[in-house]
Amino acid sequence: MRLTRRDLLVSTAAAALAGTRPDVSSAQEQPKRGGTLSVHLPGEQRILNPAIRASTGVYIVTSKIVESLVDLGADGKPTPVLATSWEATPDGKTVTFKLREGVNWHDGKPFTSADVQYTALELWKKYLNYGTQLQQYLDAVDTPDEHTAVFRYARPMPLPLLLRALADLGYIAPRHVFEGTNVLENPANTAPIGTGPFKFVQYERGQFIIAERNPNYWRKDFPYLDKIVWRVIADKSAASAALETGQIQLSTYSALSLADYDRLKKDARFDVSSRGIEANAFNNTLEFNVRRKELSDVRVRRAIVHAIDVPFFIENFLYGRGKPATGPIPSSSPAFYPGGEVPYAHDLKKAEALLDEAGYKRGADGIRFALKIVPIQNGEDVPLLATYIQQSLSKIGIKIDIVNLDIAGALSAVYRDWNFDLATGWHQYRGDPAVSTTVWYRSGSPKGAPWTNQWGWQSDAVDKLIDDAASELDTEKRKLLYADWVKVINEELPIWMVTERQFVAATSKQLQNHHISPRWDSSDWHDTWIS
Amino acid sequence: MRFLLFAIRRLAASVPTLLIVLAGLFMLLQFAPGDTVDALVAQMGGGDSAMMEQLRKYYGLDATATVQLVRYLTRLVQLDLGFSAIYGKPVIDVILERLPATLLLMASSLSFAFAGGLVLGVLAARRVNQWPDGVISTIGAIFYATPAFWLGLMGIIIFAVNLRLLPAGGLEEIGAGHTGLRRAVDIVWHLALPTATLGLIFLATYLRIMRASMLEVMTLDFVRTARAKGLAKATVLRRHVLRNALLPMVTLVGLQAGTMLGGSVVVESVFALPGLGRLAYEAVVQRDLNTLLGIVFVSALLVICVNFLVDILYARLDPRIAN
Amino acid sequence: MQTLTRFLGNPVALIGLCLLVLVAAMALSAASLFPNNPLDLAGRPLQWPLSNPRFWLGTDVQGRDIAAVMFYGARVSLLIGVVATLIAMTIGILIGALAGYYGGIADEMLMRLTEAFQTLPNFLLLLVLVAVFGSDIKTVTIAIGLVSWPASARLTRAEFLSLRNREFVEACRTIGMRDMQIIFREILPNAMPPVIVYASVVMAVAILLESALAFLNLSDPNVPSWGNLIGGGRAVLRTQWYVSAIPGVAILMTVLAVSLIGQGLNDALNPRLKRR
Repeated sequence: MRLTRRDLLVSTAAAALAGTRPDVSSAQEQPKRGGTLSVHLPGEQRILNPAIRASTGVYIVTSKIVESLVDLGADGKPTPVLATSWEATPDGKTVTFKLREGVNWHDGKPFTSADVQYTALELWKKYLNYGTQLQQYLDAVDTPDEHTAVFRYARPMPLPLLLRALADLGYIAPRHVFEGTNVLENPANTAPIGTGPFKFVQYERGQFIIAERNPNYWRKDFPYLDKIVWRVIADKSAASAALETGQIQLSTYSALSLADYDRLKKDARFDVSSRGIEANAFNNTLEFNVRRKELSDVRVRRAIVHAIDVPFFIENFLYGRGKPATGPIPSSSPAFYPGGEVPYAHDLKKAEALLDEAGYKRGADGIRFALKIVPIQNGEDVPLLATYIQQSLSKIGIKIDIVNLDIAGALSAVYRDWNFDLATGWHQYRGDPAVSTTVWYRSGSPKGAPWTNQWGWQSDAVDKLIDDAASELDTEKRKLLYADWVKVINEELPIWMVTERQFVAATSKQLQNHHISPRWDSSDWHDTWIS
Repeated sequence: MRFLLFAIRRLAASVPTLLIVLAGLFMLLQFAPGDTVDALVAQMGGGDSAMMEQLRKYYGLDATATVQLVRYLTRLVQLDLGFSAIYGKPVIDVILERLPATLLLMASSLSFAFAGGLVLGVLAARRVNQWPDGVISTIGAIFYATPAFWLGLMGIIIFAVNLRLLPAGGLEEIGAGHTGLRRAVDIVWHLALPTATLGLIFLATYLRIMRASMLEVMTLDFVRTARAKGLAKATVLRRHVLRNALLPMVTLVGLQAGTMLGGSVVVESVFALPGLGRLAYEAVVQRDLNTLLGIVFVSALLVICVNFLVDILYARLDPRIAN
Repeated sequence: MQTLTRFLGNPVALIGLCLLVLVAAMALSAASLFPNNPLDLAGRPLQWPLSNPRFWLGTDVQGRDIAAVMFYGARVSLLIGVVATLIAMTIGILIGALAGYYGGIADEMLMRLTEAFQTLPNFLLLLVLVAVFGSDIKTVTIAIGLVSWPASARLTRAEFLSLRNREFVEACRTIGMRDMQIIFREILPNAMPPVIVYASVVMAVAILLESALAFLNLSDPNVPSWGNLIGGGRAVLRTQWYVSAIPGVAILMTVLAVSLIGQGLNDALNPRLKRR
């Protein structure tokens, strides 16, 4: 489906507005140098190295210290950071990056193409989750000189996919610190060394991480802030209390409870919005174990979907933050969004008819059959959806038992032991379907790999569409392939994307120049200041 | 010398128990669904199976349970608590970092509960069956029945958010770089609410024990003798009754030392305190066996120490026991 | 009989008894007052008490009628309390009796076992048991029972140690009574009073343990329990605090009732404490 003129108009207007927002520094207010920004850190990460761990929980800290080849600019397009320019050969198998000159690591050594070569081949390809998959056809990285890195691929790599992915998966680690060491045990994993605007100072476990201004940063006169402190606060109410008492100025990636965001929205001191986090969309999922006899019948799966009133759920349980999803590609990704309607609308009569048709009549107690649902608790809304599904399906005669496991148990129960009938969790869309979305549908993932197709379902047609799209260089053709793919999976319904959502951030209005790009919280904050 | 021998004998007697506990816990956790790699991947929000295989080998999880247990116990006898999977640091370091917060919280809430329970228990016993007794006992019973996490949350809402009198959480103002007295005051300020929460709940038990103990002692012969001799009520109270009535209180401290760590899990999570309780909870959720077993080990040592001190105190209070 | 009279004459015990009767009444009348499944979606979530005549205690985070969950939840809390206590007491009494009566090696080994359980902080052990065996209500109840038995074992053992050398036991042995008969028919009834009093403590702790588990979202979401309400209300504590407050008060009341009854039993069994 083509982008309509209206969509184009809306997105252009949004982009234009993004450039003229009142809190972007304009002639009225001059950025102030100095000050400390305190940020909410909801959980501790084991490894603070974005070159081997891809996660927003890692980026919120390390992307101020370590830099990537590219980042996303205010317009959502890749902008140069450590790479100043790039070009690909027509066959898509070679991508040349020109690297920035005059950049030094925090320990004084110069940044060169050797660092890029090492990081890409030794770290991204071998350790980085999603990076191993993205770079699986990367054969070599040539370094003809200190400021050029040439990536050579065995199969065509679409440049837009690579660039968009590198914003998250392109962080460079210092070769002289990691080479020859045991990568996972290197102390630099908890005391990161980078080229970024802030230098790592201290990590007090369970309490805080501190970074301060890098006086030799390659962007002259930046950063504005003196210091950033990330405070570890695991409890959500404690975190929102900390925000309100001024102990922290920023809490993002929906780390506070939905109710608190709703409440803080009305507080004049804070900005509560999804602006600046558009790059990370996510869905609530409903996953079917197609091995189960009842669920192997697509009519039963469709009946279950028809029984859930998604708008009601969003309005009453998500405080209105979200939309019903039309597929796994969100509407905030105009490059790939095929548009379309919600595939199965709320219709209890239809649901009952489908179940009867499939041969599952109600018993004497009104129950057709019973299923177990495993919530994979990435967020507080997951158990809410699980309960809502339980309540909704009881109306059409399906009895649901919720199996309450902690997240390690849930992941292993669903993705390794296949010990589930239904599961519900989150799917994160990372800018391009090939990064972490198609793997939910493609066959071939080994048992135990989380967030992959472990449903006992497989379709050759879908596999082919996915593979073709992953190596299609023509942007338009690629988009059409994904549109076809969405159509097929919506018909087959191995899993259902229930809602389409954005993360929410609560920011103190004292903070200026915030949320000015689609992945701002994972960006370097070199131009952020406090008034 | 005798003292030291006694201490060592005590410690040695607890070793078999400790080993049973640790081995038992280790084997029990083998049955938990999911392992530390699953937890790590969950935290990251994504992972592929090649990486996970590699990590499993790295953490030594590819060996059988028996082999892992033997490895663990071998390390343990060399007093090596192993490496924490969550933090990538030696477990002993992780525990020592978190120990002060828990010790502070425990010491302050126990002291608060002990002192408060003592005073109120004496008051209630002196006015037994009159209205002060009734009021004190009722309030005590109500606090005893209150869930700690609920009390804590209410405290935060009232004192931290609405009245802005106390901090909402944490151990101290981070990044402020306080030192010395200023830092101590800052920590005291931050621990006020958590101490009150845990303390009020423990206080109820101490109050009840003290009151019962006082009443028991006051009816004993030697007290009546003292009164008959003409000693003033207050003197009798101080010199004779109190000393004896304190014995069960001291016993209680020993008994409670063990439950302390468990009770602190919830309070530490509500007040975001970097203590052992929350670390233990994290270790269970993230299946970090080394850390969890390390905490149990340290907690057991603590309980033994506290009980030891209690016994000494007991002997000082009641000379009959020392002989 | 004298004990019973003393118990009923004690105002503290009476208050406890009344509260407990109240809670039991809630449990028994739940089905007749609220015929629908309390876990169903009853209306829009997070409505304040008395704002909607249909829901006089309001609705919770999942859109459930809080009043219905409160009444059905009384069943669950009392059941968990009673069953977990029974499990804990049975294990404790058995182990304590055997250890206290036989002494020697049996005592040594059983006490080591008891010590082992006491060394482990009970909430931690509970967390581990729930992580391993799941959050199903049966599992949670058994787990709570399993972490609560040590103290009653010690108590029983202490009683048996002092009672086993009494004359009436000697007499029983002389007439050839078997050990098991002596333990269960002769000694145990005499050892019971302090143990029964302790049962009230165990029950109070059991109810609090379940609510703490539910607060951490580790309890069974398929049963209507007060703890689950508090846990669910945690996210909206600042605005719709009633979701957590109301069940919090109910738990407080129930635990208070149980401990007051325990206190009353204690006073009734130790009459000299009542007089000065």
